Amino acid sequence: MDLMPSADQRDLRAGLRAWLADAWDAERLRAAAAVPAPPFDRKAWKALADLGVLGLTLSEEDGGMGLGLADAVLVFEELGRALVPGPLVGTFLAAGLVPGAAEGDAVVAVVDTGEAVAVVEHPEAATDVLVLDDSGVYLLAPGDVAGPPAAHPLDPLTPVAPAASIRLDGARRVGDAADAARLRRFGRILTAALQVGVAQGALDLAVRYAGERVQFDRVIGSFQSVKHLLAEALVRVDLARPAVLVAALTVDDPGSGDPGEAAATAKLLADAAASGNGRTGVQVHGGMGFTWEVLAHLYVKRAWVQETAFGTAAALAEELAAGIG
Amino acid sequence: MDLRLTPEEAAFRDRLRSWLGTTLPTLPPKPDRDDWPARRAYDTAWQRLLFDAGYAGVDWPSEHGGLGASPTEQLIFLEETAKARAPYVGANFVGLLHAGPTLIVEGTQEQRAAHLPRILRGDEVWCQGFSEPDAGSDLASLRTAAVRDGDAYVVNGRKVWTSHAEVADHCELLVRTDPEAPRHKGITWLILPMDAPGVTVRPLRTAVGSSEFSELILDDVRVPVANRVGAENDGWRVAMVTFSFERGTAFISDVVESRNLLAETVATAKATPAPGGGTLWDDAALRRDVGTLAAEVSGLWSLIRKNVSEASAGMIPVQGASVFKLKFTENRQRIGDLAAHVLGRASLAMSGPGGHVVEDRVNTLAFTIAAGTSQIQKNILAERVLGLPKEPRWT
Repeated sequence: MDLMPSADQRDLRAGLRAWLADAWDAERLRAAAAVPAPPFDRKAWKALADLGVLGLTLSEEDGGMGLGLADAVLVFEELGRALVPGPLVGTFLAAGLVPGAAEGDAVVAVVDTGEAVAVVEHPEAATDVLVLDDSGVYLLAPGDVAGPPAAHPLDPLTPVAPAASIRLDGARRVGDAADAARLRRFGRILTAALQVGVAQGALDLAVRYAGERVQFDRVIGSFQSVKHLLAEALVRVDLARPAVLVAALTVDDPGSGDPGEAAATAKLLADAAASGNGRTGVQVHGGMGFTWEVLAHLYVKRAWVQETAFGTAAALAEELAAGIG
Repeated sequence: MDLRLTPEEAAFRDRLRSWLGTTLPTLPPKPDRDDWPARRAYDTAWQRLLFDAGYAGVDWPSEHGGLGASPTEQLIFLEETAKARAPYVGANFVGLLHAGPTLIVEGTQEQRAAHLPRILRGDEVWCQGFSEPDAGSDLASLRTAAVRDGDAYVVNGRKVWTSHAEVADHCELLVRTDPEAPRHKGITWLILPMDAPGVTVRPLRTAVGSSEFSELILDDVRVPVANRVGAENDGWRVAMVTFSFERGTAFISDVVESRNLLAETVATAKATPAPGGGTLWDDAALRRDVGTLAAEVSGLWSLIRKNVSEASAGMIPVQGASVFKLKFTENRQRIGDLAAHVLGRASLAMSGPGGHVVEDRVNTLAFTIAAGTSQIQKNILAERVLGLPKEPRWT
């Protein structure tokens, strides 16, 4: 039993973190969020894909890196932390099913027919829509699924459109029911990893501000009330991270645990960490936290977007409760 | 990264399981909660069984008579004994987990020889004399005074929250030997024989109603200088070495118990008719609370595995241990609230069916206080991990 990343895994993470710090720095995010309907940056998407992150788990003969889901969650945490925009989970799941997905040429949104309200994220950027249904996995054209984009998406970096009607007859079937279940589980764990990153990013930003902002002749981070908010945020993210890792490892090594239970646990804790820490991030920034200019709002909004995908808190808790006794 | 046990670890687990399977049925019934001599006898008899089977001091180095087990084997030992509902470490706690390991690092040859084998065999019970009425979270402000007189220290003062004091043979005692020095610099660590003249033990009744803890009154107690561990005035550092024993394995049996409590609560809810028909388990809000608490318990278990992995890599999981304690204690209190909610007005007694759940709920009021309150833990995380400025001190 070992939950410590290997030297290779630490290198992978450090390399990506350094690349993201440059490619998606605060100025870049601020600029992207400044316009009402930011155009999708295909060049940046391609550059990200060139690092191999979207085809990480494909075999090497299929153009991937032959790594496991445990490697993928390390990568997705970094992507979440940097608030990288784009349908990361959908395209990752589509790698190997949609030509060009792993390479960044195809941009794939994912829709789950099990959701009460289906929504297509990045409808205008998407080249394909991957549909997860109890009966199997299907591919549709965005024009067949997405309605008109919302004028004011919650997260400015996640444009959305309601899914008008999903007709699977005539859709290209690319996987069976078992594949759909597997992709749902992968999507759940990868979204949880993104959420851990969001939670960490929001905390980092708040800690930096708490160490700089002076009120009552003291930096506000020296007040216990602020310290405790931030310590509670640290607890949330430090609890969620190993849960996500264990879920991924349980998938990579069948028989080493209950992957369903582990994935639901991971998503539930990661959602709580991301939305809780996102809120703390805004609160610690005070009035500035409520401005568009300070990035704190982007973390909480991304958290709120992602907590609706691949299992809500209520559904996950219900699932876990059913497994007891 | 992987979740599998090595073949050696799996063999260790299987041997332990088989030993527990044959040994536990032979144990006598648990003694009454308030019968301290009987509790000591029960706890030390269990320790002797562990010793005879080679399981005493799982985390102690083998050159000091322990098993020298790896952090993962320690996890296995604690998980398996808890799942099998083996006796808890009980009265052996301070000796095995605190005083013994301190003597291993800081004690003299004579001190080690006098105490370590006896602790391992269950022949010797220790208690802890650290906290005082006016020194709780602010432990370094302790005032129990020790004045050198020939080959002894003469000790005067009061200690509180001393578990197992009534039946202990020795006490790890922190005293102030230099009242002029800065707070942390004038403290000394002593081995206090509990039968020394001038030691009075006054049981303290806890909110649970038991006399788990005592107050220790020290009135001109002579402690030989030979009983000093470490140098005079270096006792704060000696006391802090226990933090270096952190392997992320504390509370493992408690997390197993949290899981048991949740499962028991679900069973109760499924068996309890609801006022409008059906059972309490038909309440979606209840199921949602149970599922959320279960996710946290499961997350805590993953955090244990991560902390133990760090320890296996030679690191001390300080941050992970602090995060763990904060979350575990809060989660367990909410499990108690939920269990009581399911019991309804059957939760009004600490005896009878469901009584242990109610007692646990009351007992966990102490969880967020003992061994560093949650508020102090948050200060520590904010200052030492997040790097925020220290609280201004008033002294």
